[in-house]
Order: sequence, then C-alpha cells, then structure tokens
Amino acid sequence: MAVAAGALHHEHGGGHQEPSDALYEEIRSHRLLGFTLFLISDCILFSAFIFAYLYLRNTIDHWPPPGIAGPDLLFGALNSIVLFGSGATMHFALDNWKHGNTKVFYRWLGLTLFLGTWFLLGQGYEYSLLYYEQHATWAGSIFGASFFTLTGLHGFHVFVGLVYLSILGWQTKQGIYTQKRFFGLTAGTLYWHFVDVIWVFLFFLFYIF
Amino acid sequence: MAVAAQHSALAEHIHPEPQGFIRRYVFSIDHKIIGIQYMVTGLIFFVIAGMLAELIRTQLMNSNAKFLTPDQYNGVYSMHGTAMVWMVTIPIVTGGFGNIIMPLMIGARDVAFPWLNMASFWLFPPAGILLFASFLVGAPEAGWTEYPPVSLQGPPGTTLWCLAIILIGISSTMTGLNFMVTIIKMRAPGMTYTRMPLFVWAQLATAAINMLATVALSAALSALFIERVFGVPFYDPNKGGSPILWQHMFWFYSHPAVYIFILPAFGIISEVLPTFARKPIYGYKMIAFSSVAIALLGFMVWAHHMFTSGMAPWLQLPFMILTMLIAIPTGVKIWSWMATLWGGVIHYSTAMLFAMGFLITFTMGGLTGIMLGAVPADLHEHGTYFVVAHFHYVVFGGTFMGVLAGIYYWWPKVTNRLLNETIGHWQFWLTMIFGNLTFFPMHILGLEGMPRRVAVYVPEYTDLNRLISFSSYGLSIAFLLMFINMAWSFKYGKKAGPNPWGARTLEWMISSPPPYYNFKRIPAILSGPYDFGSPLPYIGLDSELERTQSHTTIPAGAH
Amino acid sequence: MQMFQATIEQSLTLFFGIIVFVTALVQTTNEWNKHELEDNVTKVLLILMAVGCIEAIGATLGFLGHGGG
Repeated sequence: MAVAAGALHHEHGGGHQEPSDALYEEIRSHRLLGFTLFLISDCILFSAFIFAYLYLRNTIDHWPPPGIAGPDLLFGALNSIVLFGSGATMHFALDNWKHGNTKVFYRWLGLTLFLGTWFLLGQGYEYSLLYYEQHATWAGSIFGASFFTLTGLHGFHVFVGLVYLSILGWQTKQGIYTQKRFFGLTAGTLYWHFVDVIWVFLFFLFYIF
Repeated sequence: MAVAAQHSALAEHIHPEPQGFIRRYVFSIDHKIIGIQYMVTGLIFFVIAGMLAELIRTQLMNSNAKFLTPDQYNGVYSMHGTAMVWMVTIPIVTGGFGNIIMPLMIGARDVAFPWLNMASFWLFPPAGILLFASFLVGAPEAGWTEYPPVSLQGPPGTTLWCLAIILIGISSTMTGLNFMVTIIKMRAPGMTYTRMPLFVWAQLATAAINMLATVALSAALSALFIERVFGVPFYDPNKGGSPILWQHMFWFYSHPAVYIFILPAFGIISEVLPTFARKPIYGYKMIAFSSVAIALLGFMVWAHHMFTSGMAPWLQLPFMILTMLIAIPTGVKIWSWMATLWGGVIHYSTAMLFAMGFLITFTMGGLTGIMLGAVPADLHEHGTYFVVAHFHYVVFGGTFMGVLAGIYYWWPKVTNRLLNETIGHWQFWLTMIFGNLTFFPMHILGLEGMPRRVAVYVPEYTDLNRLISFSSYGLSIAFLLMFINMAWSFKYGKKAGPNPWGARTLEWMISSPPPYYNFKRIPAILSGPYDFGSPLPYIGLDSELERTQSHTTIPAGAH
Repeated sequence: MQMFQATIEQSLTLFFGIIVFVTALVQTTNEWNKHELEDNVTKVLLILMAVGCIEAIGATLGFLGHGGG
C-alpha cells in the first residue's frame, strides 16, 4: 500500500509528471474506498477467530481452564493504554503534517513507533509470564489456542503496522508526500487506528470478559 | 432527463500501450487479458477435475469395483470437489467473466486496481499446482468439506490443501475488493445504479460476498493448518476442540460461496435472454435487488448444511426458515426471466439455448434445495446422493449452463470470430440429455438410501449407477464439442464484428476484440440498456461505430 | 514487590488513560463536521479508542474484569 501510494505520486513512468489535481483526487478516492474495504475484510478475519474463541470457551464451565490463571489484568491494562496512546500520537502526527509542521510530524511519528514497539515488547512479556509461570502453551489447551492465536494475529498486525509506518517515514524523508497530497499517510493512520480498535475488542474478550 | 455529466479525469487518462510479449500477455495489467488468463486456466482445471469425475464414475460402474482403492477413491472425489469449487467455478465466473466483461459494461478503461488484479490472477496457477501436488504426498480424503476429525488425521496432502485454498482465497478476496471499487466508483457518466446492466449488479453482489466471506474461510483453514502442523487445539475433541466449530466456520464461507457461483450466471442469463428475445428484461429492478437480497440472505443460512451434525437442535428451525426465504428472490428472477421470454421473438442461438436450458435445470436444482432445506426431509436425505444430485443440478445445471451461454455469447467479442452454431446446438442437446441422465437418477439413488462418498455400494443400486456412469461419458463428449468448436472458430469462424447479436450493452459498442484502452471516448449514459426498439442510450461513442449501431437488429448470418 | 508493581501499573494506566481518553474525544469533536470517508472512519475509530481507554481504566481500578493479578 505504501509503495502503491508512492507510485500515485509519480505517475507516468517516462517523465516525472505529477498527475493533475483532478486525476489525483479520483485515484485517491478509489484507493481510500479500497483501503476501507480491506480494513472491513480484516475485521471479518478477526471476527472469525473471535467466533472460534467464544465457541470453544462456551464448551467448558470455567474460563480460563483449570491450571491457567489467564493474562495479567493490570499489566494488560497498562499495555493497552500504551497502544491507545500510540493511536493518539499518530493522529497528532497526521494533523501536524496537514498543517505543514514537518518536524513535529516526525516527532509524533517517532513517538508512535516507540509506543507501538513498547506494546509488542509488553505482549512478549505477557506471553513469557503465561508460559513460564502458568505453563500455558499455544498447543496445550483451548485457552492457548484462542489467546495466542488471536493476540498473535493482532501482534502480527501491529508489527506490520510498525514496518508500514516506518516506510511512510522514510518516504516522507524522500519528499514523496506534500501538504496537499499525502494519501499514504492517511492510509497508514487509518490502519494504525484499526489495529488499536481490534485490541479494544481483544482486551475486552480476554482480560475483562 | 438530465445526464449527470461527472467529468472523470481518470477516464481521460489513457496510458501508453505495454510493449513486449511478457508485459502484454504474461504479466498484463489489462483486465481483458487477465480475464482470458483466468478463463484458460479455469478451463484447464475443469478438464482435470472432470477427468477425476470420470474416475469416480468408472469406479461406480460396478457395485464392488477394484478400479480404485478406497483411499484413492477418497482422494479423487475430494480433489474433484475442491478443484471444481475453487480452481474452476469461482475463477471462471468472477476472474474470468467478471474481468473481461464488467469494466466494458460500465464504460471503464480497466478495473480500479489493475496491478492488484494481476497479482490476484498470479496466485491462481500456483494455488492449483499446490493443490494437485497433494496427490504426490497423499491426497486429502475427507471430501472438499474436510471435516475433522478425519481431516486432522488425513494424509499430508490435507496440509497442502489448506495452503492451496488459503492462497486462492486471498486471490478471491482481492478480486472482490477490486470489483467493488470498480463498480462503485468507475461507472460512465450517467450510469446510475439503476441503469447498470444486470450482469454488473450480479458481479457487485458477488464481489461483496467474495470480499467478506472468503476471509472467514481463510480463518477456518488457518486453524486447521496450525492444528495439523503445531497441534493447536481448535477442532480435535480429545484436546478440547470441536468438530462442529469447523463446520460452522467452513459453512459460514461455503454457503455464501455457492451464491458466488450462481449470481454471475444469473447475470449472464439476464443479458442473454433479452438479446435473443429482442425484448426488454422484465422486472429489471426486481432482478437487481433480488441479487442483493440473495447475497444478504446467503450469509444467514449456513447451518442448513449442519442439521444432522449434532449442533444445538433449536438452531434448526430458524435456519430452515431463512433457507426457504431465499427461494423468494430466486423465484422472482425465474419468473422475471420467463416473462422476458413471453411475447418475445426468440432467436435460437446456442447462447439462448443454454440460457433456456438453464431455466429448466437450475429450477430443478433450486427445488431440491428447498426440499433439503426442510429439516425432516434433510434428516433422511443428508449425506446421500440426493444432495449430490441437488448441487450438481445447481452448479452444473445452473452455473455451468450459464457459463456455456456466456461463452457462446461473448466469444465473438473476445476473438472476433463466431462459433459454429451447428456444433453449438449439438453441444447443447447432448449436454441437456446426458447432463440430466447423469444427475437426475442420483435423486432416486439418494432417496433409496445410497450414501455419498462411497467407493462400493450394495448391488441394488447398480443399474442406476451404470446409467449415470455411461451418461457421464456422454457428457464429457459434449464438453469436448465445445473445445472442438473453439478450435473450429479460429480456423473457419466468420468474423464477428462489433455486435453480431444486435445487443445493447456497452461492450457491443466497441470493436471485437476491444482495443487495449476499451473506449476512444467514454460515452454518457441516458438510460438502461434493455429498451429494444428504442435508440441506443449512449452519447459520445466513437462516431463510426455509433452510426452502425443505431439499428440493433441481429445481422444476417449470425443466428 | 508485587503490590508495588501493581500500584505503578495502576497509576500509569489511570494517568495516561485519562489523557488519551480526553484526547480521543476532543479530536473526535474537532473532526465532527468533516464528512469525507476517511473523516468518518477516523471518528468511529477514535470513539472506539476512547471506549478502550474506559476498559483499561475500569480494569485497572477493578470495576471491570475479575480483579487484578
């Protein structure tokens, strides 16, 4: 998507002619709709695994299954705020870009990457607690099957998001985006919010419910 | 009525023609070339999957044949079903027909994301090869539905099966997304939703299903994959999993999938019937909206495949009722199509014959679907040849008849050659006769209790099985005729010109085959395309063609 | 040590959670009158993010979930 967005800003392989405003707007609207539809289909992916989790959870009386205490609620809550905070920082990054504050954009983007990485490390810590203290493994129980698969899938999405945002930062350094034309940044921000929101559901389903 | 004159910068933008064989015909981003690639690949897999079917029928010639071992037989029918569903039907009706025709019909130069389109296609051959590679390591043996626990224990080919279907699923999802954006955003000026051809409505509904449902399948398959490879417990009851979970997840996709099969075929019928009856389609809005209704309802009925699974019994009633409800929009279409024929001047081209045959065989399949949807009947019929009869009537008698109609209809547009109508008529009659002789007796076998997916059976079923098997060989010959006809048309077929059928949708307003940029100028649209007898509702087409298209009668020589 | 860690976690969650929650709502109201597709999607996602903050704060204070640890 980042590559494609970059391509949008350098149409016509021959000369480095920028597309006209009208052409840019039109292609941008297609890509926005396409990206939104992609996010909706990604929701379905998570929904399917959430269905599997709820179905399996419904087959036993007590959750988590005997022998497993489940993930650490307080640590998870803090880690969640870290991730949600990174959503706020990304929002500010994009906002500042729209207003032409390039340096501030980079600072907020950097903070987003930092917080996102912190979240992933926090997840890793959470996993290690579950493994070493509770002997909960991926294949060991339906708890492991549902928790590690779903949070792992989410973590993978976070990782991809970090790579994506990093590429966007690099592309910005290359001068690919202008104050008027920055669809890649918009798409990246939407993706990052999406990853946030998936976690809202997963945190509820595994830590609170 | 004022024409909405949205100026499209994209429509003005014609990129230079690609150079070189690889960029033009291998890694093409042109929707027409990609569509042809899908059709050719799909038809190749059709022949392979058809040969697997003949292996099945040969084994079933006798009640206790030793033609195939039980394991081989299981692998053969599993792969026949899998390939027909994912490597033949879905690619042909969406990637094939959708790609070639839909952008032309809406007056676009290509789909919304041409590079994504190319990527979607190039997942297809590797997925197919990966699927068939499973024969080398032990083909999957739990049917195309791969229920655990058998699919958990099955041979290594089952793991390859998971990967192959995940790959083709990604391809499908991307295509669905691509088509949705194309149809929503790239219609020619003045082409409101209610002026779109019905084939486009069908593709829109299908694309929505494709984009949303396939992801659920990927989830189910990924879970099966990680359970087989890493032991993660989703489906194995010994480890806390549930086989019924698989069935829910699998059928949540696979039921909407059958509407992916049939909706494009409905769309083809909606194009062919008015053209060869020289009459407007009856009930345009009803047909359009019924496509959407079928797509929506299609997501709500999956558990009708699970009435005997042991799922919570209270689920049976709501799913039965919702299943019956789908008959309503479907019936609306059938009545509308029949009303389209009523009072028309019928031209019995091969495409029209297949479309009319569709009306009969698809309706039969739909009726047995309603029979199966009734829980008390299904308890008796589930897992028998009655089900096999039903789905072959709707997929073969429905989708495939539609595909054949579409091939005979649009072949001249793609190749600028007419197919031979005599061979076509032979193909039609042999298909109808042998098709019905193959699949109708299966209803009887099923009601008499013959289970499906069995390599041997009690001797009482022998006569009907022999009839079916011999008829299936006849059906293969009928299909062979199509390939002969295609070869014939390249050598001897008359040049078709832009509009051999005197049809009115936009693809017929440009040359055959269309230039890579489709339209010299994107026309403005004044009304829907089915008003036979009125002037063409297009302004601004390439003027020379416009003049020749003003009389939409069927030229002499074409049927 | 366990209690100390828990208190740190709770304090940080509460402090930053409120900040992020308020930020999300304020930004949503700032975008309220924009109606392009990306604006509407952003608004929905920001609101859900605010819901997430409520979850995290509720969890850390013990109102939601099955208690700490």
